[in-house]
Amino acid sequence: MKLSKKVVLLGHFGVGKTSLFKRFIDNEFSEEYKVTLGVQIKKKVVILPDGRELSMIIWDAEGHSNSVEDTRKSYLLGSHAFIYVFDLTREDTYIHLNKDLTYLKENYKVPTKVLGNKLDLVNEKEMIAALKSKDIPFDCLTSAKTNKNVQQFFSDLSIEITT
Amino acid sequence: MTIQQIDHLHFNPQLQTLEISYDYEIIETTQTLFNWTKGTSIFDAHPFFQVLQGFEKNDPTIQDGLNFPCIHLTDLVTDRICDISITFNPSEIKIILFDYTLKYKELNQIAQQKNESILIARELELKNKYLLEKEEFKNSFIANINHEIRTPLTAIMGFVEILEKTHLTFEQEELARIIKRESRHLNALIDDMIDISKIESGTLRVVEERFAFLNLVDGFDESYSKIAEEKGLIFETNIEPGIQEYLIGDRTRTYQIINNILNNAFKFTEEGKITLSVTKNYQRTNKLSLNFKIEDTGLGILEEDIPHLFDRFTRFNLDKRITGTGLGLAIVKNLVDLLNGEIKVESKPDKGTTFNIKLPFKFEITKTTPKRKKKNYSLPESSNKYRILVVEDEEITQFLIMKILIATGNFFIDIAINGQDAITYIERRKYDLILMDLNISQLDGYQVTKMIRNNYGDKFISGLPIIGFSGKSDDATKDKCLKSGMDDFIAKPFEQEELLYKIIKQIAKKAAE
Ligand SMILES: Nc1nc2c(ncn2[C@@H]2O[C@H](COP(=O)(O)OP(=O)(O)OP(=O)(O)O)[C@@H](O)[C@H]2O)c(=O)[nH]1
Ligand SMILES: [Mg+2]
Repeated sequence: MKLSKKVVLLGHFGVGKTSLFKRFIDNEFSEEYKVTLGVQIKKKVVILPDGRELSMIIWDAEGHSNSVEDTRKSYLLGSHAFIYVFDLTREDTYIHLNKDLTYLKENYKVPTKVLGNKLDLVNEKEMIAALKSKDIPFDCLTSAKTNKNVQQFFSDLSIEITT
Repeated sequence: MTIQQIDHLHFNPQLQTLEISYDYEIIETTQTLFNWTKGTSIFDAHPFFQVLQGFEKNDPTIQDGLNFPCIHLTDLVTDRICDISITFNPSEIKIILFDYTLKYKELNQIAQQKNESILIARELELKNKYLLEKEEFKNSFIANINHEIRTPLTAIMGFVEILEKTHLTFEQEELARIIKRESRHLNALIDDMIDISKIESGTLRVVEERFAFLNLVDGFDESYSKIAEEKGLIFETNIEPGIQEYLIGDRTRTYQIINNILNNAFKFTEEGKITLSVTKNYQRTNKLSLNFKIEDTGLGILEEDIPHLFDRFTRFNLDKRITGTGLGLAIVKNLVDLLNGEIKVESKPDKGTTFNIKLPFKFEITKTTPKRKKKNYSLPESSNKYRILVVEDEEITQFLIMKILIATGNFFIDIAINGQDAITYIERRKYDLILMDLNISQLDGYQVTKMIRNNYGDKFISGLPIIGFSGKSDDATKDKCLKSGMDDFIAKPFEQEELLYKIIKQIAKKAAE
């Protein structure tokens, strides 16, 4: 059977989940903000370093306003990884990050990757220092707008969930 | 059928039912919503269905079925938002799609409005922050570039003055005059820029000093009467009797405000009359408020332009012959605000413009001091020339000062190019005066001055007259100079006359001791 993995994009509204989704799958970006309602799902086939094909089934869920617990439970079923996205320019999108991560860890046995997005709008060095001082963990900082680190992130993720 | 499914039906959604084998092949389907074909893999219909792979047939967690609300399902032709219910039967999987596209689209609008307003507010905040940072950068940039511009400008202005004293043809004289005028204009522009940046960065300080107020107004009368005469205009100043001769306030800024407005009036008036009237608004204990009314019969301003009059770089008159930076009125408005005053404009095109400026002052109730006049000094009689040490590292300024001083025939000049060098010269030779650039290498002007004042038992060295000079012309720099022990300060670019006056004054004072 073909190798396929389900990955869900989670996080506050407006942080750029849909933008990352579109950037990764169609290599497109739009300045216009269109709220996602519910979830949209798309598939992208990636070739792993060992030559295998992986179907990444990406679920782009609607954003929450408060806590990741507000996300519809059924969307999270049967996942192989979560991508928790926050907006580097909006502190309220990562201020409760640690609480959300704990919640996900306690209830689902899949890895969660943390992405700080909209890197193009901030000073990278200052941002990293600020996040460290606030004890905010992250795996990668990206910009869906400029495509910085986006492809690399997904490619690393595809390897991680298949080994 | 479950209760939930009945509930779904109650809202009359369109629905599609499918039966799927455990090989994930479509066994049966209605084609109400999507045109999916029997016998093909459900995974090819839409990647959503790959979620089925996550569950085993006998998984206890799925015995009651699964419900997925609000799923975007698309194929090449259709785009729908559906609730999806999945039941795991022993021999097949049953899927029902409920199409709620319309209901969800309505909901979407509400979420869109709410979320968007929050994002937009944040975006504005960020933009503002960015603009503020840019402003700050700009202001500090202007303050720093000032010095760099002043130095060559000093040289240009100085050399033109020297050039004017050589034998020139009529045409050359005219050209020299233009260079001088344009350099002065450039100098004024830099002053304006610096003022604006100081005002905006909040570093402009208001001083309260006692100054000869009537004298200030007389000054306007004198200089603008001349201009009026040249232009064929009438200029009048009226001062309400009883206004104190001396007031307490910021003389420089008051001068700047009135001068700017008068300047403007003269610029835009070709015929008729310009009047400056000073009246009292009120007087209480030691406070008074004065009104300065400046009326002209010039071009006037269109009504719709008046609100923008005090914006930076606004010039409504596009006549190229009228020069200006467009900063003048913005500065005036800022200065008036800074002094807690008020400014009002009334104007009619082709009739003229009237500015009314209210400014608060204080006055001393008792003392009256006699007028102090600029004293005339002359070099003491001497058979020798005076020896001056110029401490300056910029060649062009060295050269300029040398030319000015040597032209008088009264001075010998030595040049030291840094602080250390200066000390060596002083120990070796007797000087009558030091001209000290503040911004030199090794030891700066202040440090050298302190060393001269403190390190020598020899009174001739420790008492040497020192005049500091710098491209910075603010009060803080001047204060710092005097505090470090210098006798006087002169800002670049200086005019020959002022430089010579200050040098002669210090030498004469020293001789009189
Ligand atoms: N400058 C910049 N803007 C971005 C970036 N990513 C997303 N945006 C903008 O941020 C806004 C929101 O992006 P979306 O991708 O719709 O955000 P979302 O997380 O999907 O939002 P919800 O669906 O409401 O949860 C849009 O206007 C995007 O153009 C980025 O990397 N840089
Ligand atoms: Mg989205």
